Parts: sequence; structure tokens; C-alpha cells
Amino acid sequence: MISPVEVVGLTKTFEDEARGLVEAVRGIDFECRAGEVFGLLGANGAGKTTTLRMLATVLRPTAGSVRVLGHDAVAEPTEVRRNLGFHSASTALYPRLTPRETIELFARIGGYPPKGVKARVDALVERFGIGSYQDVRVERLSSGMKQKVSVARTLAHDPPLLVFDEPTVGLDVLNALEMVEIVQELRAEGKTVIYSTHIMSEAEKLCDRIAILHRGLILACDTLEGLRRATGAHYLEDIFVHHVRGVG
Amino acid sequence: MRRETVRALLAHELRLAVRDRRAVAAAVLLPLVVMPATLLAVRLSTERVDRARAVTLYRYAVTGPWADELSRTLQAVPPERDAGTADGPEARLMEVPASDPEASLRRGEIELFLEAAGPATDTGPHARRVRIHFPADRDVSRDGAARAKAALQEAWLARAEASLRQRGLFVEAREAFPVESRDVATPADRGGAAAGRLLTALVLFLMLTGAAGTAMDVVAGEKERGTLETLLTTAARRSEIVAAKHLAILAVALVTMLLQVGSLLAWLSLGLIRLPPGFAIPVSAATVPALLLLFLPLAALVAAGLLLVSGRVRSYRAAQLFLLPVFLGGLVPALASFLPGVPLRSAVALVPVANVSVAVREVMAGRFDWAMIALVALVTSAAAAGATRLSTAALSEEESLLGGSTAPPPTDGPAAFESRVTAWFAAMWALLFLASGLLTTLRGQLLFNELVVFLGMTLAMARRYRLPLREFLALRAVPPPVLLAALLAIAPGIVVAQGVFRLANLFLPVSSGMLKELAEALRPRGVPPWQMFLLVAVLPAVCEEMAFRGALLYGLRRRLRPAALALFVGGVFGFFHFAYFRLVPTAFLGVLLTILALLTGSILPGMLLHAGNNALALWAAEHDLPLDRLDPWVYAASALALVLCFWIVYRCRTPYPGLRPWRR
Repeated sequence: MISPVEVVGLTKTFEDEARGLVEAVRGIDFECRAGEVFGLLGANGAGKTTTLRMLATVLRPTAGSVRVLGHDAVAEPTEVRRNLGFHSASTALYPRLTPRETIELFARIGGYPPKGVKARVDALVERFGIGSYQDVRVERLSSGMKQKVSVARTLAHDPPLLVFDEPTVGLDVLNALEMVEIVQELRAEGKTVIYSTHIMSEAEKLCDRIAILHRGLILACDTLEGLRRATGAHYLEDIFVHHVRGVG
Repeated sequence: MRRETVRALLAHELRLAVRDRRAVAAAVLLPLVVMPATLLAVRLSTERVDRARAVTLYRYAVTGPWADELSRTLQAVPPERDAGTADGPEARLMEVPASDPEASLRRGEIELFLEAAGPATDTGPHARRVRIHFPADRDVSRDGAARAKAALQEAWLARAEASLRQRGLFVEAREAFPVESRDVATPADRGGAAAGRLLTALVLFLMLTGAAGTAMDVVAGEKERGTLETLLTTAARRSEIVAAKHLAILAVALVTMLLQVGSLLAWLSLGLIRLPPGFAIPVSAATVPALLLLFLPLAALVAAGLLLVSGRVRSYRAAQLFLLPVFLGGLVPALASFLPGVPLRSAVALVPVANVSVAVREVMAGRFDWAMIALVALVTSAAAAGATRLSTAALSEEESLLGGSTAPPPTDGPAAFESRVTAWFAAMWALLFLASGLLTTLRGQLLFNELVVFLGMTLAMARRYRLPLREFLALRAVPPPVLLAALLAIAPGIVVAQGVFRLANLFLPVSSGMLKELAEALRPRGVPPWQMFLLVAVLPAVCEEMAFRGALLYGLRRRLRPAALALFVGGVFGFFHFAYFRLVPTAFLGVLLTILALLTGSILPGMLLHAGNNALALWAAEHDLPLDRLDPWVYAASALALVLCFWIVYRCRTPYPGLRPWRR
């Protein structure tokens, strides 16, 4: 069986005017299993977003490879993106579109069968409770409403793999909780989810397996139980500190 | 490319464009009102000027040994026969007493004076002469001189007739060889020739103004809002995204252009704008398809060019930085139709925009060279395709893709100035443009341009943003060898610039008449050489270096890499010198001066080179030196000498501080 995501020796080097050559991601390997929530845990600047952007083919790897459902991210970027829904704090919505128009647009360009687009939009509007404001422009919605629209947009073309990059950044407690519940529902539906966060409690609650990413390197990758056994620590925060301090 | 995806994206882009209130206002509503209102204002202003000229009194004085006789002769000419100019019937010559006519002329008390030269009594043919003294840089004086000349000719004819009558010959001298001219061109021919020259520039202007807002929004705006990344993570291909955006800009450009043309026609039909009497535009069965064949690829090129700019920058604000060069870079070649003696069957057919301009001129004059029209359409389409390809590549550029700042813009200090420097220079350009129409004397224009626009606004920028003056204007001492090298670079620099001008002339030829006219305009009579030296050499060197290599370079030094910086600052310097055919050599000089500033970190050597260049150009024009007709080896030797001078500067370099690295 093909793994939803296979990452081998993935490296990304940037040229930064202030800092010179920066190795944001340094030869990392990991694999996601079908139907699991795979967590990427790391502090700000650890390389999480860069990794996920390479996975979504927005950035091109300097070295190494990414395969999504057997498709190479460099050779077959369109196929990779067709199988993937990407949601992050930086993937904004079009303020001048309504939620309905937004979902419809992303279903169409995501390759959802044209005849089923309307039914798909209706289903997502229903599922996320968007109905009452489905024809109001996004610029007039609250951040909680926008978040629901954004997730619906991510799911519009019904991809098997979903990538959430720090999805709760900037949300209040209730909206963040709602986001976590949505991810749990998606897992229950059999979707594979990559969930990047720096919030330990979210990772503990959501992730089947967790990769600790620090300064572009994966320091550990296992289930929460496995990580506990390896370090002797109970809380994820302590486990994280244990690994990060080990690197110095 | 999948048609379904492109269609969905195009519908989406158009929906966004229509819902963007600011863009709609800027692209449609404002021009619908502003353009005709401007034309109406121009019409009213022209009518007012005409009315004023119709009642102008041209004051003159007469001096010389037979001044009284000349004065009587002139006053005897019937008013209806001295109309040597285009002004109205109320305009009159009026003699005023002046003990020192030269001084009166300088003080503006008279418009001209006539010198009755030669002996007091007429001793035979060619013994006496009338010299008309007038400052050619004053419109009223120029008109008055023409009227005085016509009046004198009329007086001589009357005298010749009287003399013949005394000898028994009753001949109407002006009827001896009656000359009649007959214009065989129809109003449609004349209208076609006039419209053909303007049409491309007008169409291009309308398309650029209409589509610029949308173009900046579709990529640069999306980067800033974060929606581009959203789009790029979907299954849509880069080429599909670019195609949809290109089509959307194209559609907006065409629609706004058609709306504006419709609006102009409506204003014309309402009589608020009037065409000259007898003006007609010829439209044959072939005109419409020929114009479509030329203008559709042009619209595609405009859309592709705007998209490319939008795709190459990180933010909406940065995109605005490039709008002025894009406008000017597009409009300048669109004026190629004004160049006399440039046939469509020449190298101009390979220059995008300029080729359309010349082809449209030919079409409107009723000349349909279909093979060349097809070639022009092909070249323009190829240029549009090339620009679209570059836009696709730009969408894959990570550096520009993931840029964009969410921090609030600064309001003071260097960072604030850097974000607004181009707006300041756009305002300066507009001010110069307006002043060129309002100020009638060369001296007045030069003083206004240099002291008010360049120096005044540069100091205003420093004050507004509280910038350290010495650093802002790059007023740094340089080693003596650098000054020596700048001095030595003057002569080879001007020769190489003329060589560059000759090369550019291969593509966009300039008539010698036009060059002569410019040279004449730059050396008006009555201005002493030392004043000309100050006005043309010293003042521009000081004020323009402070503006371009001081303020502009300082404002852009962290935005562009040095090579692009030299080209950009040099190009802007060229555009500020208006005359279309001077663009290339002036921009070349601008690039040299910018490189000098980048290598030395100072504007002082540039001031020296600039002043020397202008002084030498003035001197060469005064002595009719054929700098643009030298042997090729002279240009080559000068280029070598110039390189040597810059090598000396490079060896002693003290680079401009705070620049971006030369390479990635």
C-alpha cells in the first residue's frame, strides 16, 4: 500500500540578506500513515512551515524528495496538489467573495467533478453551519466564521490528505477548540492529516504520531507513548524540552 | 492547460475586479468624467488664449539713422494687410518711444525693436537694411516680429508699385505672379493623418490607466493579502493561473478603453468637445479589421506587461513603484508615429509598440500594407507571449512569492521615504510637464525646473522625512584621482553617448530638422554665453545630481540591486528630459552618473562629469561639431577611454553605503 506522504532527505536552503545562507530544513525523513493525524511539533522558526510548503509544492526542495500518494512533488506538482488540502494562517480567503462562491471556486479548480460541485458546496455549507451567512462577503465575517469558511474551502475538492499549518494561531479559545474538533472529525472520516503546531496540548490531544522538529532537524518521531517511554517524561512539554536541550 | 480551470479562474478574477470599488472608480468612473472634463478645460483655455491674442498689442521701437522714415513706412501699412501671424484681427503693432531699445526689450517694455541700419539717405540697392530684434523665447515677441516682417514686406510692395506707376507702368506687384495653393487632401485624409499619429498613444494610455489597478491587484495585491498562496496550493497550474489573470486584465483594458471611447463620442455629440472644422476620420471596410489586428495584440502586450510587473514585486506598494516607468516606457514608443520619414517597412516593425504606432498611422492614412501589418501583429503577440511566460516564471519565484509585509508602514525617517520616493518623483515629473506648457521662456523654464522642482523638492523630501542631509545627498569627499577620472571622462562620455544615440537612431530615426530645432531652442538669442553656461551646465549638474543621484538613489538603494539601480535611476533621468529622441543618450549619461555615484558613494564627481558634459554639448552645438557623425573608430576609442576612466574610479572606489549585494 502506498503511504500518503513519504519525505526523504528533505532540505531547503534560503539566501537571507541579513543572515546569509540559511538552512531552514536539513535533510529530514518521515512518513505518514493512512488515516492518522501526524503532528509536526516545533518552536517558531523550526522549519515546520517550510516543510509543509515544500509538501504543498509552493516551495521547491533544495535536496531530497516528497511523495504524496505516490506522486513526486517536483515532477508531478499538479497531482500532488489535487490530493491535498492546505490550510494555514497565511492562506487567506478572498475578502470580496462570499463563502458559497469561495467553496465553489476551490471545488472547481481543485478538480471536483463539475456536475457534483453544487451538491458538494451545499454539503459543506450544511456541515460547517455556514448557511446563514453563505451569501455575505467574507470581509464582513467574524474570525470564527472565516475559520469555518477556510476549512470548508480546504475540503472543497475532497482531498484524501489535509495539511494544517498552525491553524489555531490568532483564534480565541472557543474557535481553537472547534478547530481541534474538526480535525478529530476528519480523522474519523478516514482522512490523513498533517498537523503542525507549537502548542503542546493540541499535539497531545490530536496527534497519533508526533515529529519534534528543531532548527530544521527531526529530533524524534513516535507516538506519544513511544516518546514518553524513550525520555521517561510524561508531559509532551517535558519531552520536547528534553530533546531540544539535548541538541543545545 | 485545462479550459474548465481557466474558465473558473477567469470568472473569479472578473468577479473580483468588478467588486473592487476603488479599481472600478479609478478605471471607469473617474476617466469617464475626468478625460472629457480635461478636454473641455483645454478647449476653454485655448479659446481664452486665442481671445487674448486677438487683442494683443505688439509694442515696438524704431532706432537707427533713418528711423523716422522706417517708422512712417510701417505706420502707413493698412492694418488688414499686416496680418503675418495666426492671431486675430484686433492684434496691432504699436510704436512706443524708447531711448535705449535694448534696455526696454530686456525690461519687457517692448516686444521687439527695429533697427534702420545703413545711411540716412537711400544710396542704392542693398545699402539699407532693417534688423528686427526680438527674444525668440517669448511667444508674443516671436509673433510680433513675424507681424512686423509681414508689414514691412507689404510696405516694400506698395512702394514698388508706386515706383512703377511713376514710370507709367500700372502693375499690381503682388498680382505679377499670383501663387495659389490647393490642398488636394480631403478632410478625411487630413483627419486620418492627424488621428493616425495620436491613436496608438491614446489607446495605449486608456488601456494602461484602465487596467493598471486590476493588474496590480491580481498578483501583487494577492501576495499582500495572502490569497496567492491559497491559490498556489490548489490543483490549478501556474500557467492556468497566469492565463486567467492575463485574460482578466486584457478584458478590463478593452472594456475600459471602449467605455472611454464611447464617453468621448458622447461628449462630442453633446458638443462639449469640438473637433476642428472640416475634421473627418476615414473608415473603410479594411480599417476596422486592420486596427483590430494591431490593437488586440497590443492590448495583450499591455496586459502581459502589467501582469509581469505585478508578478515580479512583493507588494501592491512595490508594484506602484514600477507603474510610472511602465507608463512612460509604453507611451514613449507609442509616439513613434510622430517621427517623420519612418516607414513601416523598416527596423521599426520589430520594435513592439513603436511598430503598432507607425502601422496605425499608415492604416489611418489609407495605406494598407497587409504583410507588414501581419508582421507587426506577430511581433507584438510574440512580445506579449514572452511577457506572459516571464509572469509564469515570476509566480514560481519563492523570494517574491512569500514576501509582503504586514507591519504598518512607517511615516517618518528613511524607511518612510523609501516607500514614497517614486511618488515624489512622479509628482516632480508631472510638475515639470505642467511647467513646460506654462512657462514660455527657456530661461524661466530652466530656473523653475532646476531650482523649484529638482532642488526645492529634494530639500522638501529631506525636511519632510527628517533625513540626514549629508547622507541623503551623498555629499562625501572623494580621492583626487576620482575627480581627475571624472574630468577625463567628460569628452569620451559625450562621444559615446552620441554613438549610443546613433545606434538607437537605427531603430527610431530622428529627422535632422527636429535635431536642429532642438539645438536652436537650446541657444536662444539674446542670452549671454556665461548665462547659458550657468543655466545649462552648472545649475543642472548641481540640482539634478542632488535629485537623481542624491534623493532617488538614496530612496531606492535597498530596493534594487546595484545593476538594476543604475539602469532604473538612469532611465528615470532620461524620462525627465522629455524629448523622446533624447531619451537613449540621456538615459545613457544617467546610467554613467549613477555608476559613478555607486562606486564613489558621492555625487560630487557626478556633478563634475554632468557639468562638463552639458558645457561640452553646448559648446559643440554652438560650433556645429558633428559629434553624431564621427567615424566608428572614434566611438570605439572613446568607449575605451571611458572604460579606462571608470577603471580608475573602480580602483579608488569608496562604494555607496547600504546597498544590496550585487548578486544573489
